[in-house]
Amino acid sequence: MSAWSRPPLLFPVSHTTTEANRTGAWRFARPVFRPKTAPCAAACPAGIDIARVEMFAARGRLHEAWQTIARENPLPAVCGRVCFHPCEAACNRAQLDAPIAINALERYLGDAALAAGTPLASFDAPDLGRKVAIAGAGPAGLAAACFLARLGVSVEIFEAAAEPGGVLRWGIPAYRLPKAVLAREIERILALGVGLHCNRAVDQAFLAEAAGRFDAVIIGVGFSAPVRLHIPGEDRVADGLDFLRRVQTGQTEAPRGEVAVIGGGNTAIDVARTLLRLGARPVIVYRRRRRDMPAFIHEIAAAEAEGVRIETLLAPVGVAADAGGVRLTLQPMRPDQPGGDGRVRAVPAGQAPTVRHFAAVFSGIGAEVGAFWHRPADEAETLRLSHCALRLGQHPIAYVGDPVTPANSVADAIGSGKQAALALHTLFTEGPRAVARALQDCRVGPGPAVSLEIYQGAERAGRASRTVAFADINTDYFPVAARRHPSALPPGRAAATFDETLEALAPGEALAEAGRCFNCGVCNDCDNCRIFCPDQTVQAVRDGRRIDLDYCKGCGVCTVECPRAVLEMEEESA
Amino acid sequence: MSQALNTDRGLTYPGNVGCPGCGANIAVNHALRALGEKTILVIPACCYAIVSGPYPQTALKVPILHSAFACSAVTASGVRAGLDMQGDTETTVVAWAGDGGTFDIGLQSLSGAAERGDDIIFVCYDNEAYMNTGVQRSSSTPYGSRTTTTPGQGWKKTRKKNIMEIMAAHRVAYAATANIAYPDDFMRKFARAREARGATRFIHVFASCPTGWGVASGHAIKIARLATRTSVFPLYEIENGTDYTLNAGGDLPVGDYLTVQGRFKHLAPEDLALVQAEVDRDMALIQEKVAATQVRRAFFKSA
Amino acid sequence: MRQVLEGSHAISEAARLARVQVVSGYPITPQTHIIEALSQHCADGTLAARFIPVESEHSAMSAVIGAAATGVRAFTATSSHGLALMHEMLHWAAAARLPIVMGEVNRALGPGWNIWMDQSDSLAQRDTGWIQLYCEDAQDALDTTLIGFRLAEAVNLPVMVIIDAFYISHTYEPVDVPEQAAVDRFLPPPNPRFRLDPADPKSLYPMVGPPAFMEMRRSLQDAMEVAEAALAQAAAAFKTEFGRSCPPIEADGCEDAEIVLVTTGSITSTARLVVEDLRARGERVGLCKLKLFRPFPAEGIRRVLGRAPRVAVIDRNVSFGVGGIFAQEIRSALCSLERRPPVFSYIVGLGGRDVPPETIAEIYRSTREAAAPDPESRWVGLNPELMGAAAR
Ligand SMILES: Cc1ncc(C[n+]2csc(CCOP(=O)(O)OP(=O)(O)O)c2C)c(N)n1
Ligand code: SF4
Ligand SMILES: [Mg+2]
Repeated sequence: MSAWSRPPLLFPVSHTTTEANRTGAWRFARPVFRPKTAPCAAACPAGIDIARVEMFAARGRLHEAWQTIARENPLPAVCGRVCFHPCEAACNRAQLDAPIAINALERYLGDAALAAGTPLASFDAPDLGRKVAIAGAGPAGLAAACFLARLGVSVEIFEAAAEPGGVLRWGIPAYRLPKAVLAREIERILALGVGLHCNRAVDQAFLAEAAGRFDAVIIGVGFSAPVRLHIPGEDRVADGLDFLRRVQTGQTEAPRGEVAVIGGGNTAIDVARTLLRLGARPVIVYRRRRRDMPAFIHEIAAAEAEGVRIETLLAPVGVAADAGGVRLTLQPMRPDQPGGDGRVRAVPAGQAPTVRHFAAVFSGIGAEVGAFWHRPADEAETLRLSHCALRLGQHPIAYVGDPVTPANSVADAIGSGKQAALALHTLFTEGPRAVARALQDCRVGPGPAVSLEIYQGAERAGRASRTVAFADINTDYFPVAARRHPSALPPGRAAATFDETLEALAPGEALAEAGRCFNCGVCNDCDNCRIFCPDQTVQAVRDGRRIDLDYCKGCGVCTVECPRAVLEMEEESA
Repeated sequence: MSQALNTDRGLTYPGNVGCPGCGANIAVNHALRALGEKTILVIPACCYAIVSGPYPQTALKVPILHSAFACSAVTASGVRAGLDMQGDTETTVVAWAGDGGTFDIGLQSLSGAAERGDDIIFVCYDNEAYMNTGVQRSSSTPYGSRTTTTPGQGWKKTRKKNIMEIMAAHRVAYAATANIAYPDDFMRKFARAREARGATRFIHVFASCPTGWGVASGHAIKIARLATRTSVFPLYEIENGTDYTLNAGGDLPVGDYLTVQGRFKHLAPEDLALVQAEVDRDMALIQEKVAATQVRRAFFKSA
Repeated sequence: MRQVLEGSHAISEAARLARVQVVSGYPITPQTHIIEALSQHCADGTLAARFIPVESEHSAMSAVIGAAATGVRAFTATSSHGLALMHEMLHWAAAARLPIVMGEVNRALGPGWNIWMDQSDSLAQRDTGWIQLYCEDAQDALDTTLIGFRLAEAVNLPVMVIIDAFYISHTYEPVDVPEQAAVDRFLPPPNPRFRLDPADPKSLYPMVGPPAFMEMRRSLQDAMEVAEAALAQAAAAFKTEFGRSCPPIEADGCEDAEIVLVTTGSITSTARLVVEDLRARGERVGLCKLKLFRPFPAEGIRRVLGRAPRVAVIDRNVSFGVGGIFAQEIRSALCSLERRPPVFSYIVGLGGRDVPPETIAEIYRSTREAAAPDPESRWVGLNPELMGAAAR
């Protein structure tokens, strides 16, 4: 029988992998990671990277969350109390259920950092060998000082009052902003190496002298003069801001009985609520409708809850002495067409004025610059930016704060100080012609605010300026969840004390609230792209994800399943 | 970062030849993450048999045994027996079949394995038609669906076979539904099935097929999620054929799911209402069983 | 050790001695005794194997395919309709190159339910890529089964060991059952050329397109082409170990015969008696027993039958529209010869009809007397009455 040998075995068994199939060639469109700007961040005058703050907070990484705030805003505990939070109005989540409690979370993080004694990051910038003098230790001046110090510029602040803080120290009542909180956040800015000289009013002589000693001067002295009512008997009207300042320095007296407070803004509310706490019965008198009041809605509501009365469509037209007080003549008004500023005007309604007796009348209609040089002159060499003005030339001067900001808010003031600091830094390092461009390039999305992080070219600098719309969010990942509210003192109790009316969010609540955030446009490592890619082409790499375009078929699952619009499809060019 | 993703590409190689957005691929990825590398897949004729790599390729880092269409369950039983006889009781043997290979031609073999209690996991990745042969109806094709053998006005007028009840009637140790759009639940169930050795486990996986269903490839997950959110495909588990646990039902009307798919786009409002009624009834039945399970468990605990 | 065994148990004993590790089975008369015995062995521990009582023959074959793919020795058995139901999986097992051994008891297929002897079931599977070995009696069945395992594992092809319904399956005969130690020497544990292994993950039997399919089928054919030699080698080793031979073709007195009878299965035993008797009366008659049908031993057939003046092939089967299947295969094996012996084709014993010595003697006679073979197979023993009834 013939010998035989085993023939080779050829049968269906794999000996290689599908890696040979470059299925990427099938693709018509490719997914790209394109982090974007959240609408809240674009609306924040201080340019805080809110979506990333909440992303860290939701994971319990409070330190990083706070550092992310503090990089753009050195006063988180303050702003977490007093900011009018336009971010929340812009929040995409409002279209699902309710906006994220960004402001309350900022306070939560701010307080946590204060409790931990966390210092502000200095970013270890090399010393530029430049010196800047800052007039005014209000929020704008303090912010400018902080950002300049972080950029390696030495700064000295000159403050007319005995203590720093400006409006935060003297204007905002303690039940909204405890002074210890303010003091500690200011201390932290000074710890960056900022020099502070109190009781040193800045005048023009000082400016002239400073020109020789400093490479630039920043003027941020705010509004220091009361706005006049221009009515007969105005001298019998008490200045509300002055009253608030005196209460801060220890005055505890207030008129008994009904007291009129004229105005509809936050100053009027602050004056009224302070009067209430000192035993008066305040009545706010406002010339337009209630909905036209510029004060924050929540402040108006709190005031009313505490017992402040509000009377609208009444314009004061005269003040006269009266037994045990004053007589206030009030003209009934009616709304008319909007004026040049777009706001509805009030015009006399045709009825006869009424005369009312009050124990006193306070004005609460705000303030204006105290001297002409507090605001920039219209000079050719003045560079006007959204939140500051810069007089270039041999002795550069930057104007910051109320006179040059579109809205007179603390957050705008901080944004203003930051803008000036970045502008001066560019001026020092790259010269005057580079300033406008540099500031344009570090804007947060389409908003006016600028970002230190973007300016420094860090992670955020790579983010597209496009903001994420609600329609871009995949709401499959966001079941409706109630917004968390901080608890407040009962109005009855609150009205009897200068204790803070709002409490901080409870820790669990804060994390849960941060977890509600969509993190619009910011990758939070949810890994949906990796989990769902049918072809396993998404890989985790240091600092993010990478798509293997050799194999990505362009199905688009990752993009649809990205809850927060970080991924987008881009058509392949043929 | 998801805990489940410890290795970069898991147990698959890229370059598989599935359609863009193929839900079967997503299902395999989820499953292998939970099952691990000591797994052998038995795959009958179906899309995934091709997707997993034509000769000489493989798309997986675990062994595959391709079987004929009708017999994945018993082939897996044979593999199990072979491994056991060599002392390997650790490797998990998984039959990975389409709905055709489960509800129809594979049912006899599945029933046999389940009745014997063979130590395998049988996975049906359900894309509700014979996709590999070009979208013909199967007994898993739902009421209202158009396929190439239920075309035009001949769209399917009978409901989908309830495979879970069939498996429950076998009293399989563990039966669960899973949906590619719910990866955590999905992987938990596969991990649980892997641990429940020594008995037959059955997992009914909802795996969308953009190509066959007439949806955009990018919506593979979105459409699958809608199936659960409309209770068309509720997520639940059955232990020993009697004890029911509901993991996820829905809150949306079935129209949200049906009207966005090409295969259902001809349905009139009356048809949608009919489907809704049927889905409601099915859901109520499951809920009754869940409630009965709870009552029974409470009774035995108190006894 | 000599035991009295029925043919079914000769096969199950051989499987037990081969230490098969997985057995699947589904009952069908007349095969049932094989799997019953094996399930008993598994239950009582006389065989360390897993018995899978499957739900169909399709599943029976699928189960052993799954098992064999893990590298274990696997066995199943079936018959008739069961084999037909397996058809798809027979192809699968062969092209999967799995060394499965299956006992197959020849039985007719319905309708007209018929549980009796008929080779149509196994012969219908001739193109599935299985090696087919036909047995003459219980001893042959045992020996062939043991050799079958060695052959299957040598060439990576499945082997069908085929016995006659009842004539062998249910007939008790003395059988020499070898010692386990000797079988272990003859049949060491399997050493598979491939297997499912998570440590070396491969995809077994994926789709194969036109660029490679033909080569794979050629590889299967190559294995078939060496199978005859491999069988001879295994048989030689078997003879060394056990003293019995088991050749692919057994020729008895064919060299100087006027007429050679060609038989398979238990008819061979009957034919032996007839041949003995004829020779005693001075007739020059040879007997050629065909064991191996696939691969078809054409070379051996030419060697044994090439110089025979006349060849008579007895077929217990029919390929409708052609005739006796063995006769066809033998004719085509001989047709390359310059001088082709005339091949007479006879169809006998379908559906269990008895084939007594007289029938074989008649076949011999008619072969001797005919001038030349009929153009078609001659059906022997038809009942003219029944045929006439059909005509009316
Ligand atoms: C016995 C048999 N009949 C028919 C086919 C053809 N065939 C191959 S795959 C398939 C459909 C598979 O459908 P399903 O199991 O649902 O898997 P899918 O392709 O949809 O993923 C069919 C009919 C076959 N391979 N074998
Ligand atoms: S037809 Fe459907 S199931 Fe098949 S590969 Fe394409 S998407 Fe996947
Ligand atoms: Mg299918």
